[in-house]
Amino acid sequence: MKTVQRLAVTVAVLMLWAGGVAAADKCLECHTATGDKPSALFMHDVHRTKGITCAGCHGGNASAEDMEQAMDPKAGFRGVPKGDEISQRCAACHADASRMKSFGSSLLTTQFDQLKASVHGGSALDGKERIVQCITCHGAHGIVRVTNPASPVYPLNIVRTCTRCHADAALMRSYDPKLPVDQLEKYRTSVHGKRNAAGDPKVAECASCHGSHDIRSAKDATSRVNAAHVPATCGRCHSDAAYMKPYGIPTDQQEKFSRSVHGVALLQKHDHGAPACNSCHGNHGAAPPGIESISKVCGTCHALNADLFSSSPHKGIFDQQHLPECETCHGSHEILPATDAMLGVGPEAVCSRCHTAQKNPRGFAAARSMSTVMDSLRMMERRAQDLVNDAEQKGMEVSEPKFRLRDVHQAWLQSRTMVHAFNEAKFRTAADPGLVAAQAVITEAEAAIHEYTFRRVGLGISTIIITILAGSVYLFVRRLERRHQRSTVSHSHHTPS
Amino acid sequence: MMRILRSIYAWMDERLQLKGLMEYMGKKYVPVHRHSIWYYFGGVSLFLFIIQVTTGILLLLYYKSGEALAFESIRFIMAKVEFGWLIRSIHSWAANLFILAAMIHMFSVFFEKAYRKPREMTWLTGMLMFFLALGFGFSGYLLPWNELAFFATKVGTDIAGIVPVVGKPIMTFLRGGDEVTGATLSRFFGFHVAVLPGIFTVLLGMHLLMVQRQGMSEPLGHRAEEEQKTMPFFPNFMLRDLALWLLVLNLLAILAVFFPWELGKKADVLSSAPAGIHPEWYFLFMFQTLKYIPGKIWFLDGEVLGIGLFGLAGVLWTLIPFWDRKSARGEQNRFVNYLGLFAVLYILLFTILGWLA
Repeated sequence: MKTVQRLAVTVAVLMLWAGGVAAADKCLECHTATGDKPSALFMHDVHRTKGITCAGCHGGNASAEDMEQAMDPKAGFRGVPKGDEISQRCAACHADASRMKSFGSSLLTTQFDQLKASVHGGSALDGKERIVQCITCHGAHGIVRVTNPASPVYPLNIVRTCTRCHADAALMRSYDPKLPVDQLEKYRTSVHGKRNAAGDPKVAECASCHGSHDIRSAKDATSRVNAAHVPATCGRCHSDAAYMKPYGIPTDQQEKFSRSVHGVALLQKHDHGAPACNSCHGNHGAAPPGIESISKVCGTCHALNADLFSSSPHKGIFDQQHLPECETCHGSHEILPATDAMLGVGPEAVCSRCHTAQKNPRGFAAARSMSTVMDSLRMMERRAQDLVNDAEQKGMEVSEPKFRLRDVHQAWLQSRTMVHAFNEAKFRTAADPGLVAAQAVITEAEAAIHEYTFRRVGLGISTIIITILAGSVYLFVRRLERRHQRSTVSHSHHTPS
Repeated sequence: MMRILRSIYAWMDERLQLKGLMEYMGKKYVPVHRHSIWYYFGGVSLFLFIIQVTTGILLLLYYKSGEALAFESIRFIMAKVEFGWLIRSIHSWAANLFILAAMIHMFSVFFEKAYRKPREMTWLTGMLMFFLALGFGFSGYLLPWNELAFFATKVGTDIAGIVPVVGKPIMTFLRGGDEVTGATLSRFFGFHVAVLPGIFTVLLGMHLLMVQRQGMSEPLGHRAEEEQKTMPFFPNFMLRDLALWLLVLNLLAILAVFFPWELGKKADVLSSAPAGIHPEWYFLFMFQTLKYIPGKIWFLDGEVLGIGLFGLAGVLWTLIPFWDRKSARGEQNRFVNYLGLFAVLYILLFTILGWLA
């Protein structure tokens, strides 16, 4: 650390000095004359415009006419920096707030610290330096502002910059064999990627979601692309009505999602298995799922429901009428917990949106019938639960019916899933065992409560009998004792003195 | 009816010479005085032991020892076996009442100095039975293989392991290994239904025989009274005993129905101990004392010292007929009275503290 500080002070002193004599950058003069590429690039470098000479990074005396003097190590000449020294030289200014202010810069001075803590701050294959240095992304001698279209980190260029490494399968394998290398390919198929390719710098590119200097693994809880943060990351643009205005799409998705069953699970219950935006729209290939593929997308988690729907009579009709599959009943971003009231022909029922007694009597009757069975199952489960609780509170051993209550609940869950077959007979195969199990639990719990009463009545009767018996024995003993006393007294009276 | 009974008696008498025994019993008298009530606790203890044997045998018909089956078999007894809940509850309640009755019996004998010559052997057999009763309680507590019992046994056997030199081998012997496992359950079952009842029956036989042979002890100074009241042992005292036994039976039934003995959660050897683990109430005063003793007293380990002191107290208590020479001579011994009073108060205080903790 001391070495870094010493180096920073040296470079800073040199740069101050160099800044004062920028007009006399003898290094650049000679090197330009030789026609080398670095000096040609440096002519347009943002640092040169701020008065920083070659000596700012390489050291030495940039005003000296004589090459020996200019590149004299005693004058601080260090030559071409290597490895981590490169980023340290950049950080000598870029991590120093007062220095940056003196150059009129409003750039953050935390980039170097962020880089060190980022996924790129780990050690490279040789173990001697970090994986990424500043120049890896920003270039060395021709550094320009990020807003300059010539910058390799300009939004339209950054995808190419990142994928120089991230699309290199051999290189990426040596760091993380699991990490995919097809991000660019996917990105180009996404809405973002297509617009980016068409020259729209506003759409999301790599840094928009992953960050720039502070990129962390998606598994890292502090990462912008960690599941818990994905809705906020996407929402930075997609919830900004002014920013999204030119694209003409809604900006309430994040708000709706946070209210949805998925959003509550992810954001409030911190269930990282719950879906975020990318679970349905994709990551690098982000795009709205097509109408016909919605059930496949939802089916990645809700596999059974998706399979049942695909083989149901609804599949063909939905495709024919171009209705989005799951979304038609459950919605998209604001998917609320499914209730039993959604089934049937009541005012909250989604079935009745299409099935009416006149328009589609068969479907109407099936929906009503399934809803009735579902209500019965729910009511019987509640009754069974109440009776088991009552029996348990009375101190009865009801662990078996209590355990069987799980079967009832399981049947209820299965019935809810089986609704997606939209076939009454199939639905009954799941619901009927639940009704049977619920009835069995009710019978057992009622028997336990009856047994409770029987025990108390039995205790009362036996207590009376035993008490009478105990009392009789006692009275018998007392009678014996009195008789014994009388006989003793009369014997003493009749005994001649 | 009476004629039939008489002919049966005559038939038996012809073969077993019962007349002599009946005459002996007819001549046996129980002293009547203001402390006579304490005589009944021996009988109550005997009655509760009989209940334990009877209900224990009934439980044995369905109980399955072993880590995988013990808990389930008790649940089966409580839920499926006709009146199984009643038998199990009575067995558990009677076990506690048995120890309570035995404790009252022991203290009443102690305060009456009934252990003095010639009843030293009766006291000794009684004390040994009392220790065996504690063993019954400790071994039986584990048999349902529930969470509380598992951890209480773990703590209890841990305490046994603290004793220097012999502690560790005793602990390993009790547990059937280094930890409380299914092996511990198997051997506790063996102790509970075979070893302890076998020894207990022999001691009980000796105890009862000596009580019958020597008769009831009378309190010191009682003989000095002018006229000595008595009651025939048979049938008066026995019938009074019977009436009390019936009331105890009533109490047991009420406890079993209104406060059925819970089974709790099945023991999980891998789970951590739940809060509030404590032994049965009759071990609580010792458990609580060990908690209060500092880790180190002078150069001695606190727990070792505590266990040593309890052991010493137990030995001295058991051997009291041999060192209380004053009572043996028929003189009042105030020191023994105060000692007994201290023991009762100590046990009460520390049991309450343990209960509240």
